Amino acid sequence: MSLPESERNVYVAPPEPPPSRRPPVTTVGVLGWMRHNLFSSWPNTLATLVTAAFLVWFVQAFVRWSVENAQWGVITNNLRLITSGLYPRAEIWRMEVTAALLVFLTGLGLGIWARVARSVFVIVLVVLGAIVFVPLIGARIPEPTIYVLIEPQRTPSSFVFLGYRGEELRVELDPLTDLEDVNTRQIGYVESQSRATWSTQARAAATGQLDLADHNLELSVRLLDRSGSPVAVRGAPVQARSTPDALGGSFTVELPRDGWYVLHVERNDEDRDNNTGYAWLRIDGVELFSSLEAAAIARQAEYGPPPDVERPLFAEDRAYRFEGTRTFGEFVSLQLAPFLSRIARESFIGAALFANGWVIGTLGKHEKRVRRAAILGWALAGPVILVILYGVQGSRTLPIVTTSAWGGLLLTILLTLVGITASFPLGVALALGRRSELPVIKWTCTLFIEVIRGVPLITILFMAKLIVPFFWSALSSLDLTVRMMIGLTLFSAAYLAENVRGGLQIVPHGQLEAARALGMNPFLTTSLIVLPQALRAVIPAIVGQFISLFKDTSLVAVVGLFELVGIVDTIVSGQPIYRPYQREAYIFIAIIYFVISYAMSDVSRRLETSGAGSVRG
Amino acid sequence: MANNNNREPIIICRGVNKWFGNFHVLKDINLEVMPQEVVVIIGPSGSGKSTFIRCINRLEEHQEGQIIVDGIELSHDVRNIAAIRSEIGMVFQQFNLFPHLTVLQNITLAPRYVRRQPRRIADEVALQLLARVGIPEQARKYPAQLSGGQQQRVAIARALAMQPKIMLFDEPTSALDPEMIKEVLDVMKELAQSGMTMLVVTHEMGFAREVADRIVFFDEGRIVEMGPPEHFFNNPQHERTKLFLSQIL
Repeated sequence: MSLPESERNVYVAPPEPPPSRRPPVTTVGVLGWMRHNLFSSWPNTLATLVTAAFLVWFVQAFVRWSVENAQWGVITNNLRLITSGLYPRAEIWRMEVTAALLVFLTGLGLGIWARVARSVFVIVLVVLGAIVFVPLIGARIPEPTIYVLIEPQRTPSSFVFLGYRGEELRVELDPLTDLEDVNTRQIGYVESQSRATWSTQARAAATGQLDLADHNLELSVRLLDRSGSPVAVRGAPVQARSTPDALGGSFTVELPRDGWYVLHVERNDEDRDNNTGYAWLRIDGVELFSSLEAAAIARQAEYGPPPDVERPLFAEDRAYRFEGTRTFGEFVSLQLAPFLSRIARESFIGAALFANGWVIGTLGKHEKRVRRAAILGWALAGPVILVILYGVQGSRTLPIVTTSAWGGLLLTILLTLVGITASFPLGVALALGRRSELPVIKWTCTLFIEVIRGVPLITILFMAKLIVPFFWSALSSLDLTVRMMIGLTLFSAAYLAENVRGGLQIVPHGQLEAARALGMNPFLTTSLIVLPQALRAVIPAIVGQFISLFKDTSLVAVVGLFELVGIVDTIVSGQPIYRPYQREAYIFIAIIYFVISYAMSDVSRRLETSGAGSVRG
Repeated sequence: MANNNNREPIIICRGVNKWFGNFHVLKDINLEVMPQEVVVIIGPSGSGKSTFIRCINRLEEHQEGQIIVDGIELSHDVRNIAAIRSEIGMVFQQFNLFPHLTVLQNITLAPRYVRRQPRRIADEVALQLLARVGIPEQARKYPAQLSGGQQQRVAIARALAMQPKIMLFDEPTSALDPEMIKEVLDVMKELAQSGMTMLVVTHEMGFAREVADRIVFFDEGRIVEMGPPEHFFNNPQHERTKLFLSQIL
C-alpha cells in the first residue's frame, strides 16, 4: 500500500470489521480439550498414562473381585438390620413412614429451591430399570451346582428344596475312594460344614491315617415329594445308587410339578461296615434361596410350609459358600438379582414419592402457599418423626421404642439431621457472638469454639457418655442417644461458627454502612444484609461441615450405639457365618456413605448457582 | 433553589471536632445548611470532607461540638440516631448496593422493614423512583448485572425511597467510568431542582458551579473558604483555595 508521505503515521481501519472466523480444529472440542488438558507436555502425558494405567488396573481388580468372588449375600440377608438396626420387627412400618416422609419432603424441597439436573432423573430411571430387569434376567440364568458331603456322621439325611415343574434336576454321587479325589475342587455352592469336615478327612487321608480305598460305599439317593412318598417317573422311583462294584450313581429327572421336594440319602451298608465312607453329593438345577425365611416368605403362600428336615438347601441356614470363581451371569443371578428384588418395592415407593414431591415443588415454586407448606413440613418433620419412631407412652398403635433399639442407617440419618438442624443456628449464633462488641459474649464464644475445636470428637462423645453425667446427675437420666446428639451438635456448631465467621468477614464494611444509613437497626442489618451474603458465600464450607458431621456420626459406634458402622460391626462379628464377609459389608456401607455425601455436595453446588444473588458483584 | 433565609437551618454544626486516634481530622467545623440548599464540599483528598458528611448521619462519631439535624441533636442516644438516619439519605462512592437482592428489593428493603410499609405500596414507590432515575426496566435485575452508572442511580433511588429530607453524596461519581458520570450528575441535578437539601462531596467542578448554592472548601480538616459558586470560582480569597483551583481548573 502506498500512502502519501504525510499520512505514513496515520492508520485508519476499514469501515467494516473483518468477519469472525472459527478457531483451529485442534483447539476446540474433545480433541482440543484432550490436547490441552491431558497431553499438553511430556510430563503431563506421562502423568495421564500412568494414572490411567493405575485406574484401569484398580477398577478391573475390584470389579473382578466383586463379580467373581465377593459374597454380597451378607448385605441382602441383613438389609433390615443395616437400615433400621434392632428396631422391633413389628414396628418396622414406622421406619417406613419416616423414610417416606423424608423422601417426599426432600423431593419437595429440591423442586422448590434447587435445580435438579436431568442427569439425576436419568440415573434414577436407570436404577429403577435395573431393579425390574436384572431379577428377570437373573431368573433365567442357570443356578450353579450345590455340593454337600455325605459322611457317616450325618447319614441318613434329607435335603429340602423348592422345585418347579419341567425343571431338570440332576443328582450325582461322587464317592471318595482315592487320593485323587481328595484334591478335586468343587465349583459352586459348598456347604461350609461339609467343607470343614472334608478338610479334616482329606488331611487324614493325605497323611495316611485314613485309607479311603478301604471303604465300601453303598449309598442311595431318593427323590421324595413333600409328604415323603417317592417320586416316580413311568412307575420307577427316581433314585441313584452307589455300590462297591459300581461306584457313583446319578439320576436326571424332569420335575413333575411345582412344590417342595426332599432328597433323601441313606446308607445301605450299615450292617457290614464301620460307616466310614465319604461322597460328594452334587446337585444341579436347584435354586439356592438366600434363606429358608426368604424362601418361605416368597413361596409359602403358593406351596405351603416346607417339610421340616435337618438339611435344607438354603444359604443362610447352613451357610453355603460359593467356591471357585463366578461368571458374570452367576453374579447377576446369585448376588445382584436377589439384592435388587429385595429392595424393589421400597425403591419404587420411594421414587414415586420423591417424584411426586418434586413435581409439586417445581410447579408450585412461585406459589406462596406451596413454599409455606414445604417450610412448615420440614419444620414439623422433626417432632413428627421423633414421635413416630419413639412412640407415645401407653399408646397401642405407637408403643414406645427406646432409642437403644434404634440403629443402622436410620440412626445415622437421625443423628445427622438433628446435628444439622441444631448446630446450624448455634453455629451462626456463636459466629456472631465471636464478633460481638460486648467482650463477655465475645470471650465466651471464643473460648467455647476454641475448646471444642481443640478436642477430638471421640473425646467429646466419651465425655458426653461418661464424664458429664458424673458431674451433673440430671444428665445421667438422659438417653445415651440424646447425649450423643448433643455431643455431635456442639462439635459441629464450633466448626460451623468458624466457617460462618469466614463468611461474615468477607461482607464489605460498605454494606453495613449502607444498611445503617438506611436506618436499619443491628438486628435487621444482620439478618437481612450480612447473614444472607455471608452464608451464601460459605455454602460449600457449611455443606462440607454437614458432610463431615454425617460421616462423623460413625464415631458413636465406639461409645456403643449401633448406627451404620456399629450395626455392620455387630453383623460381621456377631453372626459367625458372616465373619468371612467383612470386606463386602464395609464396602457396602462405604458406598452408602459416599452416595449420601455426594448427593449433599451436589445439592450444595446447585444451591450456590441458583436462586437469588447467584450473580455476585 | 434556596432563598429561604427566613427559615431555620436544617443542619447545624457547631465547633465539631473529631480525631482518628491522635490524628485531628475535623477542626472546629461550623456550618449551617438551610432547607432546600445544595452545598458542595470540595477539597484535596484527606482533607476530612468525607469524614465530615459521614458525621452528619453518624456513620462516624464526632468527639466535640454539636451536630443538630432537623432539630435533633446527634448523641449517643440510639433513638436519636435512628430518627436522624431515617431523615437522611446517603449515596456512597462504591454504591454499596446489596448484591444478594434485586434492584427492586434493594429499594424496598428499608421502607418495608424500617418504615413497615406494605409491600405493594413499597413496590409502587420503588418503580416510580426507578422511572425518576431513568431505569424503570431494570427492576428485576441484580446489581452486578448493571453498569456502574445504573448502579449509582439505583443507590440514589434506594436512598430516596425512605423519603429523606436531606441527601448526602459521598463522591458519587468517583468510581464511575467517564462515560457514565453524566447520567448520575443529571439525576442529581434533577434532584436539586426538585428542592432537596443536598450535601455533595465531589470533584466535579462543572456540577459544583452549575448546581451548588454554596461551595465549601475543606483543607487539613477545617473549612478554608465558603461561598456561592461565582464568588468561589471567580474570586477566591484564601491562598490555599487559589492554589487548589489553579491545579484543577
